[in-house]
This record gives sequence, C-alpha cells and structure tokens, in this order.
Amino acid sequence: MTLGLNRMKRHLVPLILLAPALITIVVVIGFPIGRAVWLTFHDYNVLRPARTTFAGLDNYLATFRDPVFWTALRNSLVWVGGAVSLQILFGFLGALLLNQRFAGRYLIRGLLLIPWATPSVLVALMWMWMLDGNYGVINDMLRHVGLIDRYIPWVAQPATALPTLIVIDVWQGVPFFAVMILAALQAFPKELEDAAVVDGANVAQQLWFIKIPFILPTLLITTVLRIIWTANYMDLMFIITNGGPGFRTTTLPFLAYTTSYRRLDFGQGATVALIQALLLAVVIVLYIRLLRRRQVV
Amino acid sequence: MARPHRFRTILATALALLIGLAAAQTTIDYWLWLDDTTDPVWPAIVEEFHAAHPDIIVEYEMIPLGQYYDRLLVAASSGSAPDAARFKEWWLGDFVENDLLAPLDGFVAGWPGADDVIANLYNTGRTRADGPVYMLPHQYITFYLYYRADRLAELGVDPPTTTDEFIAISKLLTDPANQRYGFGLRGGGGGQDQWLAYMLAGGCDLVDDAGAVVADSQACIDANQAYIDLFRVHGIAPPSATSDGFAQVIGAFEAGITSFVAHHVGSSLRLTNVHGDALGVMDIPVVDPSKPATMAAMAGNVIFADGAKQAAAWAFLAFLTEHEQMDKMSRSVNGQLPVLASVAALDHYQNNKFFALSLRQADYATAWPPLPGVGYISSQLWQASMQQALLGDITSEQMMRGIAETLRGNY
Repeated sequence: MTLGLNRMKRHLVPLILLAPALITIVVVIGFPIGRAVWLTFHDYNVLRPARTTFAGLDNYLATFRDPVFWTALRNSLVWVGGAVSLQILFGFLGALLLNQRFAGRYLIRGLLLIPWATPSVLVALMWMWMLDGNYGVINDMLRHVGLIDRYIPWVAQPATALPTLIVIDVWQGVPFFAVMILAALQAFPKELEDAAVVDGANVAQQLWFIKIPFILPTLLITTVLRIIWTANYMDLMFIITNGGPGFRTTTLPFLAYTTSYRRLDFGQGATVALIQALLLAVVIVLYIRLLRRRQVV
Repeated sequence: MARPHRFRTILATALALLIGLAAAQTTIDYWLWLDDTTDPVWPAIVEEFHAAHPDIIVEYEMIPLGQYYDRLLVAASSGSAPDAARFKEWWLGDFVENDLLAPLDGFVAGWPGADDVIANLYNTGRTRADGPVYMLPHQYITFYLYYRADRLAELGVDPPTTTDEFIAISKLLTDPANQRYGFGLRGGGGGQDQWLAYMLAGGCDLVDDAGAVVADSQACIDANQAYIDLFRVHGIAPPSATSDGFAQVIGAFEAGITSFVAHHVGSSLRLTNVHGDALGVMDIPVVDPSKPATMAAMAGNVIFADGAKQAAAWAFLAFLTEHEQMDKMSRSVNGQLPVLASVAALDHYQNNKFFALSLRQADYATAWPPLPGVGYISSQLWQASMQQALLGDITSEQMMRGIAETLRGNY
C-alpha cells in the first residue's frame, strides 16, 4: 500500500507542480492557436462577429488559388534563407575575430550589440532614410566614390527591394549570432586545441573537425530560433515597403496581416498564418531529429 | 463651540455637491488622429468644452493614422468602440453596412449650427444620396498642385492648365543626371488620393450619376494609362516613385529634386517655410479645361451605434463644429479646410492663396464613393496595383478591373 501511494505521488506531484504553467500555456498559447484554426474554417466578419458563417475548406482553396500567396511563399523562402545564411556566415566570422585577443575587444563586443538592441521600428526608419532613392546618404557616398552615377531607388525597384531588406536584417541579426557563437567558442576546452596541434592539425582543420562540431548544438539552436524569428518578422516590410513594390517584399506574415486587417478577411488571413506555422513546425521537427541523432551518436 | 460645527456642515455640503456633480457627469471616450500631435490647439479646445459643459468629461485618445483603422476594427469586433471618433469617408461603407454607426439626422435637425455647414458636404457622410448622415463633416481637403514658380519663371512659361502642357513643362524640368525631376508621383502608401485627383481631371468617374460602379470604363482605363505613362513613358517622375510615400514626395519637393507635387492645404505652411514666394499653387491639370476636376477627402466625426451616451457625444461633436473652434483648428498646424461657410468666408482664408484655391475647388471636387471596399482599396489594393502597373506587371485595364470589382463588393 505504501508502495502504491509512493508511486502515485511520484506521478502526480510533478503534474500538480507543473499545473500552473501548463494552464497558462493552454490559455495563452493553446486557445489562440485553436481559435486561429477555427477561423480558417469560417468566413469571419470582424465588424459583426455574430454574422460569421461556416466556410469549410473555402479559405484553403482560395489561398492556394491566389497567385499572391505563392509569391509571398517564394519571397518568404528567399527572405529566410538569404537573411539567416548570411547572418550565420558573418556572425561566425565575427565570433572568430572577437575570440582573439586585441586591445578594446570588450568595448567592441559591447558596441556590436547596438544593432541587435535597437528597436525594429527605429532600424526600419533609419535605413529607409539612409537608402532614400533621392537624397539618401548611402547613394550620396556611393556616387561620390564613383561606384554609381545615378541614385539607386533601393526599395523601389524589383531587383533590389527584397535583397535590401535582407541586408538590413543581416545588419541587425549578425550580433545575435556572433554573441551566441562567441559564448560557445569561449567554452571550448584549451586542451582539445593543444591536442589537435600536437596531432599536426592546421588552423582550418582545427576549425572544421574540432571547433565547429563542438559549437554545433549552439549553432543549431541559434539558427532554428533565428529562422522562426525571421520568418515571422515583418517590421521592415510594414514600414519601408508595405510589401511592395508590386508584392516583391510581401512575405507570408505580411500577407496574413493585410488579408486580415485590410481586406477584412480574417478567415483567409488565418489560413495563411497557419500554413506558415506548419512550415516552421517542419523546421522544428528537423532540429529535434538532428539533436536526437547527435545524442545517439 | 459653534465654529467646528459650522465647518463640518460646510465640508459635508461641499462633499455632497462634488459627489452629486460626479454622479451627474457623463464621461465619453473620443478617438482621433492628428498629423502633428504636438499641436496645442486640440487639448485647449477640449478644455474649453469642459468649461462650457461641466456635465460632460471627454477622455480622448490620439492614435497614429497608420494604426487608426486597425484599432477601430478591433474595437468594433470586441464591442469596445469609443463613444465617438474622428473618421474618414473611406471607412463609411464597411461600418455602415455592418450597422456600427448611429445616424445623425435627428441630432443635426435640432442643431442650431446645422445651416452653417456647407450644404453639399453633408453628402460625404452618407452612403446613399437619400440616406441618413452617419458622419458629421469636420475638416476636408482638396488636392491641388504645388509648383516651383521660380523654375517656371526661368523657363519663361506659365503654370500649365492642361495635362499636355503639364507633361511638356515637366520634361523641361527633368534632368536625371542632376537628380532633377518634373513631378513627384506618389506610388507608395497614401498615393491613392493624388491618383484619384488625376483620374477625375482625366475624365474618369469611379461611379456614375446613378451610383453604379464604372471604374473599369474605357475613360478610366485611358486616364489611368495616362497616369502610368507619366512614369513609364515620359520619365518625369523619380525612379523611386513606385514606393514614394508622403514623406518622400514632400521631402523631394522641399529639397528641390522635383518641381511639381500634388498635395493639399495641410502642407502649405510647411512648404511655404521652405520655398517662400517661390512656392506656387495651381489646379490639377485637366484634359478638358472647361471641366475642372479634383478629389476631396473628408475627415468627420461619427457616433458609434452601440454607445449609450450618444447625446453627450453629439454635444461634443457639435462643439467641435462651431465657428470659433473650427476657425482655431483650421489655422493650426493641423489646419485643413473649414466645413462652415462662416469660417470659409473669413479674410484669413479668402486672402490665403492655398485656402482660396481649395475652397473654390470644393465646388467641383469629388470624394471617394462611400462603398464597402474603399477601405481596402485605400489601405492596400491601390498601392499594390499601382506599383504593379508602374512596373509593367499588369496593364491599366487589369488594374482598373480589380478596383472596379472591389468597389462592387467582390473581394
């Protein structure tokens, strides 16, 4: 009897202690997700919710038939792929540099965080004016050094609009990668490096075969987080381009927002948002599988 | 010991009066946006209202225009709309269709100031010609063209009156190698009003006299093509025009990059401070000089249908629309055209070239039709379509068909 009671306590006590957190998660996260899924099957009238009707799969069919959805999906893939891969590259290089000993490195490490710490709205406004196609300071500098002879409307022409936003996001996101990777590098055991030197490994071999595998868990989680944040990030589109020119910078979250709040079609807007959430869920599943494989190995 | 007893009596009476007054006071919520939120005129007017109506407290909230419509939507859907709010005619169609606004005809009928409102402006608050007024007109604008009088003088030309003259002069003022362009075309957010002014001047009507949508008529397709050609064919607008918003087109005009820009009286103070006497103003160039045309946009005030304090809300809206308050607001940095005939007749407006032209334009200016879908067109569809057309992704016909279908409710 005592054994049974103990077993029950072992199972129930953790649940009881976790209950407040679980209830909060269900209410704060679960309910909105459930509500969003419900919206995807309804024709929701935001101005008169009582007039909402059941729509079945109409929202999904309308979404997949909408050419703007496929444009937004393509833009999202380019946006996330381009922004995150460049942040990994420059963040890693930055971390390697900051891991060296040089005068003022602590000051530089602090200053490095400024782009990351700046509110997104300020980042967008600042870059919008620096890149202005008529009198922006970047155009002015490029013209003065002879790299261009006419001002370039960076965010007004199709070929450069999305790449420009990617550059801005990379500028803002590199510090996050640099700081995370630097922290992992600084935890790297010195004796491993010494052993590699003794075994005749050069700098590149040390980096590829020893340091990178060591920091891989940090790199993975940082990348997954950044993919999710970047995929959901629409501040730059909202402030600088409004999704234009001609949908060139319209991504899935921006499309979800405009479909809901401007076309007043919350059902289809929720559908777009749900599709993005499912795509991100695939990323998370891949990450978990990679982690498990590493633990098994 | 009579003094302490008297003091307690006085204190008790004062407290009772305060409590009674508080119980008799009505508090109303009012939302608004202002282009310049540092303007001290608005808070002062609210305090004047409190002094004149001690039984009504106005708690106002200033919301940036970019977020205003979103906030209204969320408030309406959750049943937490304010008692009254500043409003645009763009949104009337959607809100009236869903029975969210209170008709104001009963209030207007008993209002001594009703006849002072310029009569045809009441129509901007209706969704049907014979329907009730849902929005009390408050401030409006008409679109005209600012121009650099000094540059036209250098060329030895008069300000253009027709579209052909406008294009010819703009070409003379365009020199891309020196970062100079004739016209600040606004292809970014908010450019739909400038575009509508050009469309009307080009002979396009979005709806006919019977109220039927004709935005996809050949006249409108041609007028739209002419607008697109300003950028794609004549090259008189900067390459950034596809995404230029208000700040960009006005900034370019201030910096001397462009020589013509379309806007309204609200920017006259700012541009006069920069260009002084070199700032000229003219009507939108038209295809047919015998038929002047431009667009008007009204910012009015509405009372929400579900509100329980409609009488108190009306008292505030009527106060805002009285002579003295209207004059103060029209002269402020947020100043737009007064809807009251008595204010419009004042020398300050008649002798100011910007106000004088705008008030004359009121005779022939046309607003966006009060149809559901105008909110969507003005907040998203127009910009996306216009940019696609300017980039050559879609034709003028495709763009106008999309706008027409949206006005017909198919979106």
